Amino acid sequence: MKKWLSAGLVLCLSTAILSACGGGNLENDSAASSTGSSGSTAASGKVKLTAIITKHPLTQELSKMKWLQEAEERAGVEIEWQEVTADWDQKKGALLAGGDVPDLIVGPNAITDADYAQFPGLFQDLSELIQKDAPNVQAMFTAKPETKVIATQTDGKIYGLPKYQRFWPETTTRQFINQKWLDNLGLTMPTTWDELYNVLVAFKDKDANGNGDANDEIPMDFAPTGTVAFGAFMPTVLLGSEGITLTDNSGFGYFVEDGKVKNFFSDERYKELVEFLNKCYSAGLINPEVFTQDYTKYQSVARGSGDTAKVGFTWGWEVTDRFGNTLAPQYTSMSPLKVSADSTAKLSWSYDYNSLNYGVNMVTMSAKSKHKDEAMKFINELYDPKVSMQVLFGSMDTNIKDNGDGSYSILPPSDTAMDPGTWKWTSTWADNGPMYISDDLKLTLGTDMQSVGKQTEPLKAALDSINKDTEVLPSMFIKYTSADNSTMALNNTNLMSLALAKWSQWITKGGIDKEWDGYVKDIQRTGVEQNIEIMQKYYDDYKSKQ
Amino acid sequence: MVPESKHSEAPLVLKARKETVLNTFRRDYQLWLMILPAIIVIFIFNYIPMYGIQLAFRDYDFTKGLTGGAWRGFDYFKQFFDSYMFGDLMKNTVVISLTTILLSFPAPIILALLINQLRWKRAKKALQTTVYLPHFISIVVMVGLLNVLLSPNSGIIGHLLTSMGLGDVNLLGSTKTFVPVYVISDIWQHCGWNSIIYLAALSTVDPQLYDSAKMDGASRWQTIRYVDLPAIVPTIIILFVLSMGNVLSTGFEKVFLMQNPLNLPVSEVIATYVYKIGIISNQFSYSAAIGLFNTVINFIFLYAMNAFTRKSSDISLW
Amino acid sequence: MNPTYGKNLNDRAADAVIVLLSVLVFLIIAYPLYFVIIASVSDSTLVSTGQVTLYPKNISFFGYKEIFHDSRIWTGYKNTLIYTLLGTLVNLLFTLPAAYVLSRHEFRARRVIMFLFVVTLFFSGGLIPTYLLMKDLHLTNSMWVFILPFSVNVYNLIIARSFFEHSLPKELYEAASMDGCSHFTFFVKVALPLSKAVVSVIALYYLVAHWNDFFTGLIYIRSNDLQPLQIVLRDILLSNQVFSQGAGAGGAAGGYAQQYADQVKYAVIIVSTLPILIVYPFIQKYFEKGVMIGSVKG
Repeated sequence: MKKWLSAGLVLCLSTAILSACGGGNLENDSAASSTGSSGSTAASGKVKLTAIITKHPLTQELSKMKWLQEAEERAGVEIEWQEVTADWDQKKGALLAGGDVPDLIVGPNAITDADYAQFPGLFQDLSELIQKDAPNVQAMFTAKPETKVIATQTDGKIYGLPKYQRFWPETTTRQFINQKWLDNLGLTMPTTWDELYNVLVAFKDKDANGNGDANDEIPMDFAPTGTVAFGAFMPTVLLGSEGITLTDNSGFGYFVEDGKVKNFFSDERYKELVEFLNKCYSAGLINPEVFTQDYTKYQSVARGSGDTAKVGFTWGWEVTDRFGNTLAPQYTSMSPLKVSADSTAKLSWSYDYNSLNYGVNMVTMSAKSKHKDEAMKFINELYDPKVSMQVLFGSMDTNIKDNGDGSYSILPPSDTAMDPGTWKWTSTWADNGPMYISDDLKLTLGTDMQSVGKQTEPLKAALDSINKDTEVLPSMFIKYTSADNSTMALNNTNLMSLALAKWSQWITKGGIDKEWDGYVKDIQRTGVEQNIEIMQKYYDDYKSKQ
Repeated sequence: MVPESKHSEAPLVLKARKETVLNTFRRDYQLWLMILPAIIVIFIFNYIPMYGIQLAFRDYDFTKGLTGGAWRGFDYFKQFFDSYMFGDLMKNTVVISLTTILLSFPAPIILALLINQLRWKRAKKALQTTVYLPHFISIVVMVGLLNVLLSPNSGIIGHLLTSMGLGDVNLLGSTKTFVPVYVISDIWQHCGWNSIIYLAALSTVDPQLYDSAKMDGASRWQTIRYVDLPAIVPTIIILFVLSMGNVLSTGFEKVFLMQNPLNLPVSEVIATYVYKIGIISNQFSYSAAIGLFNTVINFIFLYAMNAFTRKSSDISLW
Repeated sequence: MNPTYGKNLNDRAADAVIVLLSVLVFLIIAYPLYFVIIASVSDSTLVSTGQVTLYPKNISFFGYKEIFHDSRIWTGYKNTLIYTLLGTLVNLLFTLPAAYVLSRHEFRARRVIMFLFVVTLFFSGGLIPTYLLMKDLHLTNSMWVFILPFSVNVYNLIIARSFFEHSLPKELYEAASMDGCSHFTFFVKVALPLSKAVVSVIALYYLVAHWNDFFTGLIYIRSNDLQPLQIVLRDILLSNQVFSQGAGAGGAAGGYAQQYADQVKYAVIIVSTLPILIVYPFIQKYFEKGVMIGSVKG
């Protein structure tokens, strides 16, 4: 230690040299490694591009994706990819402010509308390039005009291109009950909240799973609410019993009814739901950890132990995803519940079709790119329906089979222990990629997507009865100005901080009746009215253009 | 040069004129050389970017650069003060950070004194190594650990509390337990690491002092009180002054990950609020203003505490 | 080590209390650490439902496999090792002499400089101007961004200064300078050897800060070849968190990976902490009582 310290000191005495490092030496290092938008031509004669992709952490290295190599080949480009899986938002802030944008940025809303507004001049308006170089994108815009609406900013420019993935169901959330438990206890499928309550009580009091322990059943469980917004698999879907149609989970509480934008946090029907949940919670029917567990635990608990199920009634994406392969057969998907037998409210459900099948700003180009035409040609390749299919499900032959008659089928995972969902995310960009799955593509889906479809059937009637014109908030197709966006974000933060705290407090401890009036006044103070006003204006504007 | 510095090192006698930076420069040029690298580095990397503070008073306009946006004065500060959440945010932030300071501060001192008293060398080393390990657990995993261990249904600590008759309290989801869990886990994680500096300070105690304490018949407690403690007092004071600069700081990631709707009334702090408003739209100026407000408050507290210790103990940061 | 050990009753009682307390502290700290180890090889579903408490269940090494399967991990280790060693060296070279200078009362600029240094602990320009500066200095996407910027941590500087100030006897320099000793030689030959304890603490602080630093890599580095270990591990770790967004966020991400996700989380901690654990004993030995006196004599 002494030795290197004194050796170090010699260095220190020559301070001048060291501090000079700060300016001089480094230029050599960075000259070699600087990337940015500096386009150059590769030895092979192909155009070299740089790109960033925000991919799913499970996704394998891009260099191993056959379809991507082929697409680059056809477009005559060679892309140096930077693959980002985490902390993109932090990285992005510095990147954009520094003006260091690569030729292409790929990923779901990787660059947001707010970024386009905040950083003018950084990103390329693609309108002309699409006309010139991208027939596939034009085809998408023609066949699915709404994709053009999604892509177009308030000033008419197109910075980011959307995706359309066609096959996804109309809702994220499916409702599951343990059929085996119902059978064990001789119960019938509940159709109303009251019946559900009675079934849950039976689940709790009796040994529903038949393992000899009458106390290890969790009658009801739902996904952790978090502190930012509501999401999928939460009991807010029960608002559908009272005629409220959530759109894309209605994270901040906004929904549309008869063409009017409203917020359910100060709605009497929301109060009724909370009262019902409080009744269940007080009776010990809801997992006591429901607000404190994380999503991993929520999923783990439902997997029970061995072939003993633990959870009676819950929500999820798909039955094997939710309960694991062993327990999945015990569960069945349910129709929406009525509030009570004599309730007249029209049954509805969360309508998430738009957010599941469309995506904004999947790919963006730098305005400083030196090879815009080539970059656009590459983008065009991605939107070729046959390539898009591979973007979503993986390469031909390994993930997709060409049936030879113009139709295709998704192959099962090569590793049999893996489920189709994981297989897809591991193999390719999957839902994170730009794509256009055209409506006339003949494709047989994998078992996971087929069963999602099947489990959505009980919800079909309710989903079909939704009037898409007056009951669905078309958030996906509306572009707010950045000032409005910013106002709404501030108000929503206030709103959710109050509303979510009260939501959990009332369910676990009760007291909604006493506090309701004061709460409604507080809700007004968070600025929710202002948001509703803004949203109504944009909604009306959107409607008038249709 | 050597004789020169010799002369000036006996200034008590010849204190004819006041020493200033200028007239001592020749004498102390070696000292200036030694501190120069630090000054250069701090100037370049800390002071040059400081123009960015303006952002708190301006709109962010990318095309005109950081300092080119329209001047907004204290608008963004006012926006924060008038915000619906301001009162709660301030209260929660101060409660969490003050409790953390007051409880986490003494813990490593006590631990260091304890470890120092252990006579069995190997046990001492083993204990020392163990207590410093939790520091390396990342926050994500730390909160994950808390979730698993404190779960009322399945966690080992949850079970322990139930068996002690304290059941029914969900430690993770109560406005009453959020701060204690936050602070205690913080102590658990960093106490050992923070004790290292005190152990180092204790190692400078002259062993002869222990021997003479023994001869005087001092008890263990007295040895700690009159030999060990004085050795670490300067370190304690300096670190305490520094910790005062944290009155409005809470670790963002840990609070955010520990948040759930049940504890939200006490767990929404300035840092998490800034994060949440930034999720949807970029609020560069607003968050810069909130950040600057935090900094100023923190600095005032540090300044005051430093002035206080300077007067009372002659130990200070500057 | 002490000949008078256990001589009187009082002392023995005190010893008992100390040992008892130590055992208690040990257990409280050690159990969760042990838990991390067993959780890193147990079935995640069992871990999160509280069925793993004392020994691992359904042992599998998926977590470790997943980590070491990632080819970037070795580059990450190599990079981090270089950044940490070189970075710490530069840190010490810049910090220790400065701390010494600021501990000298005859240094007239001491208070002003100290104040200006402390200010930087609080006020900063924010990420954007810092990023722009790094870009102008051509430090982005270069290994030097890990080493040169912020090579003086003011907090560490203050600790070192305070040590020099309070544990170096004041008369020492006066005596030395009488013998014709300059500040340079005094610092190297007397001050540093007498301050091994604090030098090793500061070294440890810097070492660990470099080791754990992922932010620099996140913001300033583009090339995978330059990424430090923590970025690689964080990427792997966050694959766990993806599931918390809900499968519906992008279609089912599948239960298969999720079953092992937690394992990865715990294994990451072990993989990233083991090397730093090895360093500690080397530093620990400088905390032995009487180190300072010994070195004066020697």
